[in-house]
Amino acid sequence: MLFLQVLINGLLLGGLYGLMALGMSLIWGVMNIVNIAHGALIMLGAYATFWMFTLWGWDPFVSLPATIALLFVYGYCLQRFLLNLVVRAQLFLTLLITFGVEVVMVNLVRIFWSSDLRQVTPGYAGANFSVGGVTVPYVRLWVFMTTVVLSILFLLLLEKTRLGRAIRATSEELRAARLTGIPVAHIYAVTFGLGAALAGAAGGMWGMLFPITPIMGGGLTLKSFVVAVLGGLGTMMGAIVGGLVLGLAESFTSTYIGPTYPNAISFGLLVLILIVKPTGLVGRRG
Amino acid sequence: MKGSRGKPLVIGAAVVLALALAPAGLSPFLVQFLINLFMLAALAESWNIIGGFTGYASFGNVAFFGIGAYTTGVLLTAAEWPFALALPAGGLLAMAFAGLIGMPILRLKGHYFAIATLGVAETMREIVYNLKITGGGTGLTMPITRSALPFFYLMLGILIAATLVNWWISASRFGYGLIAIREDEDAAAAMGINAALYKTAAFALSGLFAGLTGGVFAYWITFIDPEGVFRVIVTIQMIIMAVFGGMGTVVGPLLGALVLATVSEVLSTQLVSLAELFNGFIVILVVLFMPKGLAEVIRKREFSLRKLARNLREYRV
Repeated sequence: MLFLQVLINGLLLGGLYGLMALGMSLIWGVMNIVNIAHGALIMLGAYATFWMFTLWGWDPFVSLPATIALLFVYGYCLQRFLLNLVVRAQLFLTLLITFGVEVVMVNLVRIFWSSDLRQVTPGYAGANFSVGGVTVPYVRLWVFMTTVVLSILFLLLLEKTRLGRAIRATSEELRAARLTGIPVAHIYAVTFGLGAALAGAAGGMWGMLFPITPIMGGGLTLKSFVVAVLGGLGTMMGAIVGGLVLGLAESFTSTYIGPTYPNAISFGLLVLILIVKPTGLVGRRG
Repeated sequence: MKGSRGKPLVIGAAVVLALALAPAGLSPFLVQFLINLFMLAALAESWNIIGGFTGYASFGNVAFFGIGAYTTGVLLTAAEWPFALALPAGGLLAMAFAGLIGMPILRLKGHYFAIATLGVAETMREIVYNLKITGGGTGLTMPITRSALPFFYLMLGILIAATLVNWWISASRFGYGLIAIREDEDAAAAMGINAALYKTAAFALSGLFAGLTGGVFAYWITFIDPEGVFRVIVTIQMIIMAVFGGMGTVVGPLLGALVLATVSEVLSTQLVSLAELFNGFIVILVVLFMPKGLAEVIRKREFSLRKLARNLREYRV
């Protein structure tokens, strides 16, 4: 029974990891930017939800569209007016500039909103139900279902719409995309906006499960990266599969080995995957 | 050629002599500031070996700093070794660790290497946090020493050694090998350079100086804990100082450390977050306007805004 409980816990958390990694993988796949500020975007999403909950009493699930919209606009502007300026420079420099963005965001939040631990606690926060000896908190289940819905919507957007085709075309071949009349700078900004929106959604829900602090993003950037690589870079299904794998790995190791080494586990998994199968679990060749 | 190689040596010797005599005429506050400056400059030079010359952007060099600090700390307190033995032990262990961990992760390239090193640092912090001998989360307290002078000269000595090693790298067969790896690793290997050996040696050297610096830091600051010595911001500082001054040059990291440490010190007296915020803005501005660093800007006399914005015209979309 414990086994089943651990399995469920891992899957429910893994969905959220998948959503985080989806945004990271998109930005990486399309623009070749490893966005170190990804965790900071998650943090911003968590704070957005927190403030709407605290100031206006908005339910965190209801305010989720607002959080997503806010982060989309923020991400769009960040790419359009800053990252687009150096997006074709060497990898190290684009990585470094997102590092700078991360430091600026974290410290602005720290200065304006302090380093206090915050939490989003709607009335139903502690409620749960049991099926066959397995306890499932309602919040975790709803978070999981929301991540599934958001992931499907996002995949449909990418596969079925004109915008999605433009994003994929830009990702394949920048110059050819520009020649066919795709406004590349705009598409890049939209892509980053989408990645930020996914991060924001993940952050909004993360805040219902774990405490919110200005520095919560550092570890989450690492996890998003691990998941994106684990699943296979640039493949959207890979991010989701990778998220579930990491969730399960953490859940099982913390129960059967001990909860003291969460980051060591993600990192160990990462190195293992990079050495054994560099294209990821469901990655494509080349 | 001989003249241009001799001049930096003369200037360097003059600066070192002035610094060696400096503590006599300075306030305790300034001495502390200089120790901190030497430490940051030594760390920037140590990062420069792997990040600047070899082109492997390590985001986890704080791991070596932390290992040096903790090895020295544990040997001083639990084993009661004299500092003269504990410090080299810390440096050597950090060096050995860098060499060992380098063998697998230096096979990764670009982003993968960067994040893998970040992971190494995070993992080291977790391990130290959970070990008994390191005092876990409560940290370690060193015996207190009266005078700051030994630390002043030790840090200065490490900085000089690190700078000399960088200087040697910039003009030796070994260094040319590293630069060849940075420019094109496959071509370097085709020319008969043992890339794996060179990279690992560079990483280990980088680890040695970071470890030694950490060892002195531990005894100087008298209290270390995992959150303090494995902070990501320490790695960031190494990187931005090296990048700000000029990666892959000998004077660049020194220049970067001097400018940034001074400004950070002034801002820290107001608010620590403010100093970190400033660091973040500097990173962004450097990437935008002078990715080759201050040393290059000064050398080419590119002070006009138009010249500085050239980088943007080249890489924007």
